[in-house]
Amino acid sequence: MTPPLSFFEIVWLARWPLLYGLGTTVAISALAILGGTVLGTGLGLALTYGNRAMRGIARVYTDVIRGTPVLVLVLASFYILGTVGLDLSAFQAGVLALTLFCASHVGEITRGALQTLHKGQTEAAKAIGLTFGQTFRYVLGPQALRLALPPLINTAAEMVKASTLLSVIGVAELLLRTQEVISRAFHSLEFYLLAGLLYFLVNFAIERLGRYVERRVSLA
Amino acid sequence: MIPKAMVLGLMATASVGLLPNGAMAAKLDDVLARGKLVVGTGSTNPPWHFKDASDTLQGFDVDMAKIIAKALFGDAKKVEFVNQSSDARIPNITTGKVDITCQFMTVTGERAQQVNFTIPYYREGVGLMLKEGGQYADYAALKAAGSSATIAVLQNVYAKELVHKALPKASVDQYESQDLLYQALQSGRADAAATDQSSIAWYVTQNPGQYKDAGYGWSPQTYACAVAKGDQDWLNFVNTALHEAMTGVEFDTYAASFKKWFGKDLPPPAIGFPVEFK
Repeated sequence: MTPPLSFFEIVWLARWPLLYGLGTTVAISALAILGGTVLGTGLGLALTYGNRAMRGIARVYTDVIRGTPVLVLVLASFYILGTVGLDLSAFQAGVLALTLFCASHVGEITRGALQTLHKGQTEAAKAIGLTFGQTFRYVLGPQALRLALPPLINTAAEMVKASTLLSVIGVAELLLRTQEVISRAFHSLEFYLLAGLLYFLVNFAIERLGRYVERRVSLA
Repeated sequence: MIPKAMVLGLMATASVGLLPNGAMAAKLDDVLARGKLVVGTGSTNPPWHFKDASDTLQGFDVDMAKIIAKALFGDAKKVEFVNQSSDARIPNITTGKVDITCQFMTVTGERAQQVNFTIPYYREGVGLMLKEGGQYADYAALKAAGSSATIAVLQNVYAKELVHKALPKASVDQYESQDLLYQALQSGRADAAATDQSSIAWYVTQNPGQYKDAGYGWSPQTYACAVAKGDQDWLNFVNTALHEAMTGVEFDTYAASFKKWFGKDLPPPAIGFPVEFK
């Protein structure tokens, strides 16, 4: 009889499924963070500078989505949207749900950052003849970005962790891939620790990237 | 698990309410026109549905799906598998994400109110796995040992009760996961492991000469595939395909799969008077 494989040999045999899972997790997270940042910035602008109607709509969206568990959003985009004609794949439905959730957080982060800036700056910009677009681009935006970066990185890391919920609707991300390997090769504790380490590495990379951007935009 | 299942139940109910009436009718025609069968199953439970080292989905549930595809198209490969968690089995049927689900689904009255079950293709039960050449030879020896026999079982509210149904006096040790169960048996911390008979059959087959089934099964449950309600033609078709796999033209396919995953040879159905009416 052949001697039992060591854990490292088992991991080596399972490297491709685990790497595909890691790739899927990174893809889901990247899409959700990107989409959520774009949508959320728009939301933050609407919350801060919009007229009454725009503010109202953005407020309802933010409160409803932010107050809903991510799992419910994931299941709703997969099951409910399908019945009204928008038949998304599990991957698409999952990315959509995370994007919407991410946007609600980014919206509030953006609003918080913009409202910290003194009103006098907008007035001064107006006084020297800048349009609203120019004011945002050259005066408010860069300052707001500096203020918003730490909580943004926080939200990005949360998205990576929330991507595990997509395993419920059958998206083969890192957690589901890990469970598939465990079901065949056992060593559950070791494999879960390995998955935990991989999630940490993804979030560590995000944190480093955030720090890099922070340095680039800092005044010092 | 309960909140997740409840949320899924609500989603399924809500989305069914939105479905136009009759959307599920004539599934057989739809499937034939599409040219492939969409089957819901999992990917984390050997020997039912799991992935091998080359990442190929396989198992007894997967083979049942292939038997149905062969009945439909004459080609067992015309199947698309939808990966789903156990909680998603019923919602994916009621919302039409899959044509059929074959995922070690226990038939219960509660579930039968939400989906239509096919005829059964396996009867699961709890069994006892022993180490080959260990202190106790079989079920009778374990029972005679009384409280000096230690049984490893998966942690569960009813776990102790379950073991005591078969071995009223045995000591029960509960473990977190399947691999810890096997480790306890391997290291001698437990004299036997109580778990699904299919899991035992698979593990014994995977580790030849090391383990054996104690030869006693209890706590029966029926496994069947499930389809959406409201389309009797589709249900009849699937039933016919499964029935003929267990008694007729596809018996050899079914028996080969049974042998592969459970390690047991099935006697062929008696020729002559139909076995169903014995």
